Amino acid sequence: MISFIIFFFFAAVAVIFAAMVVLHRNPVVGALSLVASFFALAVMYVLLEAPFLAALQVIVYAGAIMVLFLFVIMLLNLQHQAEPHTRPVQQFLGYTSSAAFGLALIYYLAKFGVTKLPEGVFVADARTVGIRMFEAYIFPFEMVSILLLAAIVGALILSGRTGISSTQGSPSASVPSTKMPPATPASTHSEEVR
Amino acid sequence: MHGIDWVDVGLSGLKIAVVLGAMLNVTPIMVWVERRGSALIQDRPGPNRVGPFGLFQSFADALKFILKEDMLPAKANKVLYTIAPMFGLIPALTTIAVVPWGRPFLLPGGRLFEPIIANVNIGILLIFALASMGVYGIVMAGWASANKYSLLGGIRASAQMISYELSLTLAAVSVLMSAGSLSLVDVVWRQTGSFVLFNAIKLPAWNIFSPAMWIAFVVFFVSAFAETNRLPFDFAEADAELVAGYHTEYSSMKFALFFMSEYMAMATMSALITTLFLGGWDIPWYNEPPNALGFALSVLAFVAKVSVLLFVFVWVRWTVPRLKYDLLMKLGWKVFLPLAVINIVIVALFIAKRWI
Repeated sequence: MISFIIFFFFAAVAVIFAAMVVLHRNPVVGALSLVASFFALAVMYVLLEAPFLAALQVIVYAGAIMVLFLFVIMLLNLQHQAEPHTRPVQQFLGYTSSAAFGLALIYYLAKFGVTKLPEGVFVADARTVGIRMFEAYIFPFEMVSILLLAAIVGALILSGRTGISSTQGSPSASVPSTKMPPATPASTHSEEVR
Repeated sequence: MHGIDWVDVGLSGLKIAVVLGAMLNVTPIMVWVERRGSALIQDRPGPNRVGPFGLFQSFADALKFILKEDMLPAKANKVLYTIAPMFGLIPALTTIAVVPWGRPFLLPGGRLFEPIIANVNIGILLIFALASMGVYGIVMAGWASANKYSLLGGIRASAQMISYELSLTLAAVSVLMSAGSLSLVDVVWRQTGSFVLFNAIKLPAWNIFSPAMWIAFVVFFVSAFAETNRLPFDFAEADAELVAGYHTEYSSMKFALFFMSEYMAMATMSALITTLFLGGWDIPWYNEPPNALGFALSVLAFVAKVSVLLFVFVWVRWTVPRLKYDLLMKLGWKVFLPLAVINIVIVALFIAKRWI
């Protein structure tokens, strides 16, 4: 009975704050709402007797990823920017696609049922998750690592650090990376931060 | 559903009351220690008028906080500005719940009394999860104040916390590997007793004395300063550069809440360092009897270790100057992170060779 009340309370919290993420005009408030939503989701994991997953949910999503999001939003100082005007076509497409997705979700949940739980005892402690991840799912795990590594290398190249160093070797103006003089990124950066 | 065990509920309530009381009293005591300690280090008297040795100075400070005008900046986001100080306080108050602070013993009724509020098997993860929430209080305060210095403080805090949380967590992984458990109770039990180092010296089996943990201890200890925003890593407030950083616009009790959460976070961090590396409640070269006496002695040992660490926090603050911000980031990402990862490999080697 108590877990029932807790479930509905935190389900409501998760849904309300998830709606806030989409509906609120201010990106910082949106990001903070997402944190609250993730936190409520972590409570769901506790109710499913998977406290390990709950802790990971909070550490990884609410604690690490969202702090980075906030960092970027605050660094770009987005709150002073006027919301770009949206065209009616964009609004129409946005509303219809999200409504279609919502209807599909409700249809499949109603069709397959939300009351069916997997059989057997559900174990999700650190040991079980670790053994599963490094035995049965070792290949996807390694693939994700490679994907992350590629993303890091890509971010480093895009951030222009290699571009600037390459211009020192070749003074030709036809190289795309030399289009931006090295002084420009520094000056725009300091202006954004103010 | 089985019935409610009222004795258990009562004991839990008692434990919560004791720990919360201790945590809330950390702030006034530490403010006094900080002010007198800084005076001692800078060769001046410090506050010595109110009460013996100026001990009641904290009461005067608290009274002043309550009586000051509570100001709200005109352009501030009112909701976030108000909840930010509370948000900082929650992790500081809750994380201590999973730290064991004494040796368990049997009560007269045959009931086992465990001096820990919540003995959960994911203890350390819970601490990191809740501690990572603490940064939102600072970030929210910095952003909601609508002040450029506050905003800079908030941005710095988020970057710094992310960087040092990684090395902090990875340094703790070494300890958890040797204990083979995520529960802090197991971590402490693993450190009771003694071992012989290099066939020569008999030492308590604390993690700090194990050669596999030396790097992890240094990384964890220094990262703890960054995580609690204390000098030499207090870039979120950096009073020489940012006025007072994220709490520039705060006054009265809202400011006092930031103040309190900083000292409580220090106390929690000291308790965590004690538990992970300094043997928790274990008394060196002494086998605590499993009764009320052993319990009392072990609690005293725990409090003594935490107090020493808290004093080290003060000592370092008034001795070491603030780093440059780029040095802080370099230290975090290019020194501590690789060192913490290397230490995990070292601990794995030690475990494989059965040296620990």
